[in-house]
Amino acid sequence: MLKYLVILLDEKSVSFCHYENPVKENKLISKEDLKAGILFAMKENLNIQFVYPSEELPKEYSEIINTIDHSDIKPISKQRADVLICNSVTEFSNNEINKEQVYVIRTKKEDFFTNLSLLKKNIFKVQRVNMVLTDIDTFSEKDFEKYKEALKELSLETEKQIGKGGFSQINILTDRIMLKQMNNCNAGAEVITLAPNGKFYVCPAFYLEDEKQSIGSLSEGVNIKNAQLYQLDHAPLCRICDSYHCKRCVWLNKKTTFELNTPSHEQCVVSHLERNAAKDLLLKTQIFDNEIKEIDYLDPFEVREQW
Amino acid sequence: MKKKVGQVTIEEKNEILRLFERRNGLTELSKVLTIDNDDLYERLVKDMGETQGKFQQWWDTMAAKYNWESSENGNWEINFDTCEIFLNC
Amino acid sequence: MNQIKEDRRQWQDGMAKSITFIVTKDCQLACKYCYLVGKNEKERMTFEVAKQAIDYILEREEEFNEESVTWDFIGGEPFLEIELIDKICDYLKQRMFELNHHWFNSYRFNFSTNGINYDSKPVQDYIKKNITHLSIGITIDGTELKHDLNRVYKHSGKGSYKDVVKNIPLWLEQFPGAGTKVTISSADIPYIKESVLHLYSLGIKQVNINVVFEDVWKEGDDKLFEEQLMILADEIIEKEYYREYTCSFFSERLGKPLDKKLMNQNWCGAGKMLSIDAQGNFYPCTRFAQYSLRDKQALIIGNVKEGINKNLLRPFLCLDRCTQSKQECIDCEVAEGCAWCQGENYDAAKTNTIYERSTAICKMHKARVRANNYYWNKLFRKLELEGEREKFEKNKKEFNEKIC
Repeated sequence: MLKYLVILLDEKSVSFCHYENPVKENKLISKEDLKAGILFAMKENLNIQFVYPSEELPKEYSEIINTIDHSDIKPISKQRADVLICNSVTEFSNNEINKEQVYVIRTKKEDFFTNLSLLKKNIFKVQRVNMVLTDIDTFSEKDFEKYKEALKELSLETEKQIGKGGFSQINILTDRIMLKQMNNCNAGAEVITLAPNGKFYVCPAFYLEDEKQSIGSLSEGVNIKNAQLYQLDHAPLCRICDSYHCKRCVWLNKKTTFELNTPSHEQCVVSHLERNAAKDLLLKTQIFDNEIKEIDYLDPFEVREQW
Repeated sequence: MKKKVGQVTIEEKNEILRLFERRNGLTELSKVLTIDNDDLYERLVKDMGETQGKFQQWWDTMAAKYNWESSENGNWEINFDTCEIFLNC
Repeated sequence: MNQIKEDRRQWQDGMAKSITFIVTKDCQLACKYCYLVGKNEKERMTFEVAKQAIDYILEREEEFNEESVTWDFIGGEPFLEIELIDKICDYLKQRMFELNHHWFNSYRFNFSTNGINYDSKPVQDYIKKNITHLSIGITIDGTELKHDLNRVYKHSGKGSYKDVVKNIPLWLEQFPGAGTKVTISSADIPYIKESVLHLYSLGIKQVNINVVFEDVWKEGDDKLFEEQLMILADEIIEKEYYREYTCSFFSERLGKPLDKKLMNQNWCGAGKMLSIDAQGNFYPCTRFAQYSLRDKQALIIGNVKEGINKNLLRPFLCLDRCTQSKQECIDCEVAEGCAWCQGENYDAAKTNTIYERSTAICKMHKARVRANNYYWNKLFRKLELEGEREKFEKNKKEFNEKIC
């Protein structure tokens, strides 16, 4: 069942996930579509998340936005929002960090590995950080090793913080500790996106990849073909998996395996390295009442159901 | 006349089936390989001899193990589907 | 004193890896039901491409670790490229031996041919050279009328029956247990009975017959189909063909409900197989090459230079029956034996997915199940009355249904 509507206020709205937004020219959603999108969300009982560009919005847009309860996703330059987006560890560290904010750090593996110390220094200053590795699909065996080590370092630091009575949520490490069931992105199942062209998409990535991939419009409503393929029970690997924190990104799935419901090997291994790091951290700290089992594989494909 | 005289296990059948297939493979390869291809040709000839030897060895070992009925001018045959051994006489 | 009984078993009961070379997209015929929508005379495989594919595969023995292998050659009409095929097979034999590959002990060369140039010298020379490793199926659709209804020459439009049937005796002499594949489309339904009986009369004891998966069925086709199968059943029982002949329409493993968990396997082997085209592209099955797709883009999973992208195989290897089926198929009371083709599913799907099962054959399957039930009930009653049931059960011919 749909629960959230993401509204891209502008063609240049900041990317908050795996995809890149290459658009250079601003083009705002029309006021009529913005109002219609809000009305749609009200009638369908959806929570709205507005995604902003770096540029200031005209005053009348802010007025329309404020007619409804919502969350704001903005570039870090805006300093205040429900979620602030940075495009590298360095960008995150170079900005004034606000303890109350939730941050998304979009990073590539090189940036992440190189600037791990910087990250460790600043990540515990805020209540929550979502790390998004935008080049997961390029991870090699060596990268998996490096990532495992990096998670270990982050885990040690977290352990120290807990010892001092502090706790910051880092999605790739602490989310799995707290989860007892799948908690994925759920684009196409619980979340859809309204683009500046007035059409609906599974998520912003599908819109930016090809405008023709729309799943409906404000005038005609939402119609997702093969909607079952966005559901967990139709994902043969994910439904047997307990990396509950995994984004299970359907766009990345489609890009890497040509199927929405099948993750790549790289995605599965990265999620399992995070899961295993969470398991070790939980075992050491017992910070939550949860249990993460010892398993001997990193890719559920190896233990898939076979007949 | 053909009569059933025994049965081998699946593992034993697989062993002779593998040798049977290899012998066929070597025979058909021998139609392609020429003597110009020195190394491979030598390997082939050697392999043919070895495979034929193992083949005969299998029959000798099985015959001794199961003590199948035989006849002077007859021969045994195996059915790969059923692992049955027949005597043709 | 020893001898091995000639081996005519079903080749390795599905344990073999199937590797298909699409050697040409050309064919002498233009069959009306042919799913190969993009046939042409230009795309012919070169030996160099085949060699690169073979080297890629054979040098990865750990990855391709199935017990046996079937090297499959298809077209178009594969025997149009007999010289290339002969060269490929020679290279295969040599390389498997050279590398001491385990497949040298367990391989077959497999062909589906229209049979037109079966008796030509190059084809016959090739057969004699490789006879112990060959499996060749000639497609003949039944009576002259039925065959010529669909299987016509591409330029003249003339039927090909006479040119094929002349080669059947030679083929059966060389491959006594060989079967033929018959494809039924809407217009063929009235000819089913006489076609199967005609094939039996030619000495073909195994008739693999199936309805096309495409959405071609008209109102009332299921009724007609059921009637045809019932009169065929009557004839097979009355003339006692069941003693030596098989027709794949009738199977004891057909028409029961299927357990969601225990009987959840995929029908099709796409993804476990591998196809290579003239450009050196790899496909999970030939049906995903562009020349066999109507509405979708080819699904290429790699090529001879860069290898296979294993991420693209994951969806295929994760496929199960229920995940790709509609609820009505999962709950179907007669689900057993209802087949599908992954390529057709992909081609017919609303989105670019292999996870949407096409149900175009639903009513035809149900008609088949009704006729099949009739066949077995009638046959078993006859055998019981004759006191022959036990003997029949002991000697009955098992076959694996082959649909593509």
